[in-house]
Amino acid sequence: MPVRERRHRMVVPSREPAGLGMGNPRDMIRVERLTKRYGPLKAVDRVSFEVGRGEIVGLLGPNGAGKTTTMRMLTTFLPPTSGRATLAGHDVLDEPLEVRKRVGYLPESVPLYPEMRVREYLTFRAKLKDVPRGRRRAAIDGVIERCRLQDVERRVLGHLSKGYRQRVGLAESMVHDPDILILDEPTAGLDPIQIREVRALIRELGDRHTILLSTHIMSEVEAVCGRLIIIARGRIAEDAPLERLGDEGVIVIEARGPADEMLAALRSAPGVEQVRLSGREDGYAAFEVRARGGADLREALGRRLAEGGWPLRRLDLSRVTLEERFIQAVARADVAAGADADQREAV
Amino acid sequence: MRHVPTLLRRELSAYFLGPMAFLILLAFQVIAWLNFWDLVDALSRPQQSVSGRFDPLNTYISGSIHFWFALLFAIPALTMRLIAEERRSGTIEPLLTVPVTETEVVVSKWLAGVVMYLVLLLPFFVYLPFLYYQGRFHFDTGPVASLAIGLTTLGMMFVSIGVFFSALTKNQIIAAIWTFLVLFLAVLLMLLLHVYAVSQQAAWAEALRFVAVYYQVQEFGLGKLDLRYLTLHLSVTAFMLYLTVKTLQTRRAA
Repeated sequence: MPVRERRHRMVVPSREPAGLGMGNPRDMIRVERLTKRYGPLKAVDRVSFEVGRGEIVGLLGPNGAGKTTTMRMLTTFLPPTSGRATLAGHDVLDEPLEVRKRVGYLPESVPLYPEMRVREYLTFRAKLKDVPRGRRRAAIDGVIERCRLQDVERRVLGHLSKGYRQRVGLAESMVHDPDILILDEPTAGLDPIQIREVRALIRELGDRHTILLSTHIMSEVEAVCGRLIIIARGRIAEDAPLERLGDEGVIVIEARGPADEMLAALRSAPGVEQVRLSGREDGYAAFEVRARGGADLREALGRRLAEGGWPLRRLDLSRVTLEERFIQAVARADVAAGADADQREAV
Repeated sequence: MRHVPTLLRRELSAYFLGPMAFLILLAFQVIAWLNFWDLVDALSRPQQSVSGRFDPLNTYISGSIHFWFALLFAIPALTMRLIAEERRSGTIEPLLTVPVTETEVVVSKWLAGVVMYLVLLLPFFVYLPFLYYQGRFHFDTGPVASLAIGLTTLGMMFVSIGVFFSALTKNQIIAAIWTFLVLFLAVLLMLLLHVYAVSQQAAWAEALRFVAVYYQVQEFGLGKLDLRYLTLHLSVTAFMLYLTVKTLQTRRAA
């Protein structure tokens, strides 16, 4: 059966032959100015990013931000309106079948055929994914074990709990041992213990596979991913390795005493970048201190306040800034989208 | 096309894991039995009451109102699920993100429908040997064969129409209604229009006679295996399947 040729891209950037100027050849996923429009609505708007081999990247965004649409374009389910996406060196429009061979995909709601049994379903999918007959049994046994489905392998899919369905979907997505795993909200609907199990599984899979997963749970990204892409209003609002995002710690201090003097004392401490008086309350003053390079200055600051004789009530390093970063990024995207709209109206 | 056997097996097992296939089978079994009763009754009457236009095979199947009505309801019921259900439940997404082409998917679903259709017709043919062994009445094999071939290609065409409408929507009922309307048009409306055209002595009567499915099957039953009809059925089938593939390629998420 011939691979169908479709080239209805609206924007085809003139470029050197494939292979040249393609950036890092180790990139398993390359996305360039990928756009999906539904009529006037831009669900995904000029998104570009790369994912290298063995990376685990989290796609984070509020509901309706374009995470699922992006993933559907990467898995060749939806054709992009414009832009380009290459997975394991194959373009999603030119060689969809090659892309599909190399990608394991867990769709958001884990659609399964309710009348099939677990092992039967995995066998069916393995056949469709061209797992050779000789390796099929071992591959299915392998994923059943990894996803702990031994107890339910004879059960009918329609009768499984949400957690098991999720695990069947996950097992199915990796039954053909793909280079790339694309997981749309892999822990949605699971209980805390199952979430831990699935996260551990994903981390383990990260050794051999390149993983792009979407979520709107902040802690999930911290627990699993090496890199974070925040997507809001169809655009990339932030793309950074996780360590760098975690760097920005804020030290929160509450102490009793004259606010101005304490402020000056804190400012003069070595390594302090910025101090902000964030509140006053019956004699206590609250400060937020940002340290250069995200260093932990709690001891030094505590000593400084003690030297001044000001009693300390709180001294905290809050590194949970991922959520703040996320909210800031989304807010910025909203503002930008608003500005865009204004501009359009002005024109 | 190497995935077709895998996909076909799933489609067929899905049919038999729900009640619909059994209900339709039961209905067809009853109709076949009633028609067979009529046939035996007609054949056992004294010869002189049988006019020259009497043809046992057409009395049995293609001339029977039960048969046509059952077919008009059974085909939409068999085909409505095929793609609409995948759209509704979302399983179309995993189905179209494995290394399987849309053509393979559509052909498998269509084949599953055709197989089910043939299974429905089986009772009609199963009775014929009994007629021979019990009543020593035997049909000419020619008309039986030509009717079998003609009904098969007709079924291929009808099922392809059903598959097409099933691909358009995620609502099975809407798919069934559209399919029913088109089949109704092909079977009954064409027949009535032809009768009207003849009564008006219109020039297009001949054209209508050609496309009216009822007459086509009548001819098959008389043993005339008209290749023009087969070509018509198979071209419509190919065209509908092509449209279905195009629909799946362009409208994926419903």
